Amino acid sequence: MHTAELLARLAAALRTEIGPAVEGEYPRTQAFMAGVILERVSRELALDAQHAAAAAADGTALRADLDPVLAAGPPPVRVALDRWAEAACAIHALTPLIEALYAWGPDEPAAVDALALIRPVLRRDIDRRMEIAQ
Amino acid sequence: MSDVGTGPKGDGEAALEPGDGGPGELVGELLAGYLEAKLGADGPVVIDDLERIAVGWSHETWLFTARWSDAGGRHAEGFCLRRDPGNALLREMSDLGVQFRVLQCLARTDVPAPEAYWYEPDPAVLGAPAVIMEWVAGECPSPWRRAGREYYRAAAERGELPVSFTDSLAAIHNVDWRDVGLDFLGVPRDGTAFALREIAKWRTLIEHSGHPGHPILADLVGWLETNVPVTDRFTLVHGAYRTGNLLIANDRISAVLDWELQVIGDPMYDVAYVLSELNRDGTELLSNVVPRAVFIDRYQEQTGIEVDEDRCRYYQLLYAMRSAAFWMSAAGLYADGSNPDLRLARTEWSVTVALERAAQELGY
Repeated sequence: MHTAELLARLAAALRTEIGPAVEGEYPRTQAFMAGVILERVSRELALDAQHAAAAAADGTALRADLDPVLAAGPPPVRVALDRWAEAACAIHALTPLIEALYAWGPDEPAAVDALALIRPVLRRDIDRRMEIAQ
Repeated sequence: MSDVGTGPKGDGEAALEPGDGGPGELVGELLAGYLEAKLGADGPVVIDDLERIAVGWSHETWLFTARWSDAGGRHAEGFCLRRDPGNALLREMSDLGVQFRVLQCLARTDVPAPEAYWYEPDPAVLGAPAVIMEWVAGECPSPWRRAGREYYRAAAERGELPVSFTDSLAAIHNVDWRDVGLDFLGVPRDGTAFALREIAKWRTLIEHSGHPGHPILADLVGWLETNVPVTDRFTLVHGAYRTGNLLIANDRISAVLDWELQVIGDPMYDVAYVLSELNRDGTELLSNVVPRAVFIDRYQEQTGIEVDEDRCRYYQLLYAMRSAAFWMSAAGLYADGSNPDLRLARTEWSVTVALERAAQELGY
């Protein structure tokens, strides 16, 4: 049995069989919460490979899109872009670059363009996370 | 924040009774000893009907009846105890000593709030820093439960609660905060200082949470810092004004609870919270109880403050940051081992939901 499926079954047992049988408000709530958490972890495991591949593709494409837009950017922006690339263009590692873009100037046309390229990628990333969170 | 403050327990809330050999018995013993001196009793104080309500996210709340006698005769009075367990949500920014001072200041105003009697900072005395306050009659149905939403919908149809809801917020914003001594909360130095201070506050909470964060949060904070509104009038701001934090008796607000996030700031911060979709689930009624037009018209009439939709929209984004900060902090409490409550562990995914809302608010 795949680990994700095992966890899903454990989650179901906690929510439908174990939790209702627990006496006391607090421990019963904890049993239900354990079920909810296992359910999320199960989903995360099941979707992990698919999400990782999608995120990697998004990161690589974003790097290619950002390079020309930020080619003439100030040193802090270029450094942040390089460091993001060194972090394998991971979506979660975009924070320093975004901070550098705001520091450069939110009205700076290239910064505006860069943020416009980044935001759809962030949207897809949060949509993937929402598949697990909801 | 807790769902219930002073008053009877909310629907479905757990109670810990004295005599169970657990925390209830200990709290009862500590209270009896403490109140004997405070009440000037000529004999032992008896603690009856002790129950813990709102097994919530921040401070513990206990209700009880004290029975004692003195030269004036025999007495029985209801009280509310709030204790700071030290490992709860917002522990860094929710000081019971501050709450005590705020409630004392509010006793001189038209704001319906429990009267605060004693503050005990020494954790050795009552088991944790604690405030003992007036027991206020009323109920506080949870708006997150179906029964609570039905309660508020029915009250909205009767019409009195929506008016009282609005008037109580207006009373908060009409407080002469300098006159009653609330300026100890800190007064923003100029029109942009309030929003910047709030951003800094939630940034600090995020940093202390140990959470890795997410680039959407960086985008949100960048936007907030770039678009800070100018505030031309400061009032007392509750910071979490919604059903669930309000005690209700006979379709009127008998007490505004949860004085944990109050500041001197932009009244639109509270108005934006009322207008927010955060606090209503499947209903057009603001905070589950008041029609938008009724709220805006009545609020403006009662305060003379015009509702500024642009500033409210800004604060909606600030609330998105605050929500993310709350949940990051909550998840951090479980992650660092300081609180074993699994509800806190679950909030890791609430961070995702808050960030998704932030992305929506930013337009993507």
